[in-house]
Amino acid sequence: MASSSAMVDPKIFEQLQTKIDEDAEVRDQIKAIIQTLERQSRNAQSILSRAHSIPAANLQPVLEAAEAAIKDEVESITKLATTTTGSPYYKYNGIWTRDVQNVISTILLCGWLGGISSQGTPDAGRLLTIEEIGQVLNGKLPPQSAMLLLMFPVPVNLKDQDAFHITIEEYLLSLINLIDELARLAINSVTLGDYQRPLQISQFVKDLHAGFQILNLKNDVLRRRSDSIKYSVKKVEDIVYDLSLRNLVPRPAATTT
Amino acid sequence: MPGVKRNRDGAEKSKSKDGDAPTGPFMPMFEVFRGELDEHHDRRERIIKASRDITAASKKCIFSLQRVRALNNDIPPKIASEVMEKSTAMASQFAAIAPDLAGINAWRYQRQISGGIQEYMEAISFEHYLRNQKLITHEEASKLLPEGVELTGDDYVLGIFDLVGELMRFAITTMATTGSLPGSKVGEGSAEERDILMDLRLLRTSFEALDTTSCGGTGLGKDVEKKMEVMKICVEKVETAVYGMIIRGRERPKGWIPDLADDRAPVESY
Repeated sequence: MASSSAMVDPKIFEQLQTKIDEDAEVRDQIKAIIQTLERQSRNAQSILSRAHSIPAANLQPVLEAAEAAIKDEVESITKLATTTTGSPYYKYNGIWTRDVQNVISTILLCGWLGGISSQGTPDAGRLLTIEEIGQVLNGKLPPQSAMLLLMFPVPVNLKDQDAFHITIEEYLLSLINLIDELARLAINSVTLGDYQRPLQISQFVKDLHAGFQILNLKNDVLRRRSDSIKYSVKKVEDIVYDLSLRNLVPRPAATTT
Repeated sequence: MPGVKRNRDGAEKSKSKDGDAPTGPFMPMFEVFRGELDEHHDRRERIIKASRDITAASKKCIFSLQRVRALNNDIPPKIASEVMEKSTAMASQFAAIAPDLAGINAWRYQRQISGGIQEYMEAISFEHYLRNQKLITHEEASKLLPEGVELTGDDYVLGIFDLVGELMRFAITTMATTGSLPGSKVGEGSAEERDILMDLRLLRTSFEALDTTSCGGTGLGKDVEKKMEVMKICVEKVETAVYGMIIRGRERPKGWIPDLADDRAPVESY
């Protein structure tokens, strides 16, 4: 068999094995970070969940706690970005995309409730844009390590740059999470005696729904998940209907169409 | 539901005082997203289509190459020209989608192009083997892919797995038609012969030594298990055929073909 070594250059399989092992190592590193991130997201979500049982006026402590939890999340995201600097973004992004969506969802919800306001004036009902999400994720970084690049909507110079970023799919999926959460909040606001917030939520959710409707979705995860929006819209509309039927709507002018 | 006026994007026209419902506060943002998503879907579909065409052309190349009878030799001109024709077609397919696979998008659409690249790998590694009786290296194979199209380690390995099936078919057909196992002299002036069965066994041992447990269920780990089984069956088929040729070969009329009842489907399946 000595002669048969001519068929396969032994280096071929050595190199393959090296490559496989290197990939596995990167994946292990990512998974370790994800594990921490998962716990941090759950923490942030549970803090934000308190908003369902606290009147809007007394939310400040919850928002502050949520912001602190988000800070932890951002730290993990930063780690993730640094760890994967050398690897193609889309090679591994399947591992973390769900967790990144959860992080974005917490930031979106916190922002909607009035948190994360760099301008100082906390106003509820705000939608953080994908760029603002990027800034939140970026803000805690030293300026030179602008690792968390946003691919959109500054595409020209970034589409060719292979770096960690938030994809629009991730942002859109997180918006759907936000909508689900707001539908629940609408119900619980009524329980808390807040009849104004359901109207605000109704308008917000409808605006987002209108946005989703202009997207040409293929039969992918985004399509399937976005199907749930209409149920959320209906849920909130039913609440508004119940309120207006009983003349509980604070300002008649703000009723829905 | 008659009488409901809709805008061109399908949203119901609002009859309320603010008749500009579709131009809500988030519309500009969603319009940007729509543009990006449309581009993404278009790219994706172009790549899927090219991948299919490349797969089909590669299969035709392999069919042509299966008519070759001698190892470590030039390909007969007629077959070579057929293969060349397909290769040119594939090169232009690849070139057409190269911009779609540039930079960050190489891995984004990896799942879509992977099938075509694996089949292409199978074809070029088979041709390489017929010409040189050697396994093509990753570097050599990468060079045969057009500029801008990346050959991942996974696609390389999976293509080589499929190569074993082609070598099996080549070995058995050659045995049946010429009555001997294809092989060639090890080197100039050397008397030692190296036949295809030795090569297949070496490939098998190399594959078996490859540790892919770390890959888990992702990409390589998922496919390797299945392909490993098929690869082993292929090698065993050649072993059985050689055994049959040696032990009973002389009793058989020339042109007899070993029983291949069930071996086509699992090898070419995709």
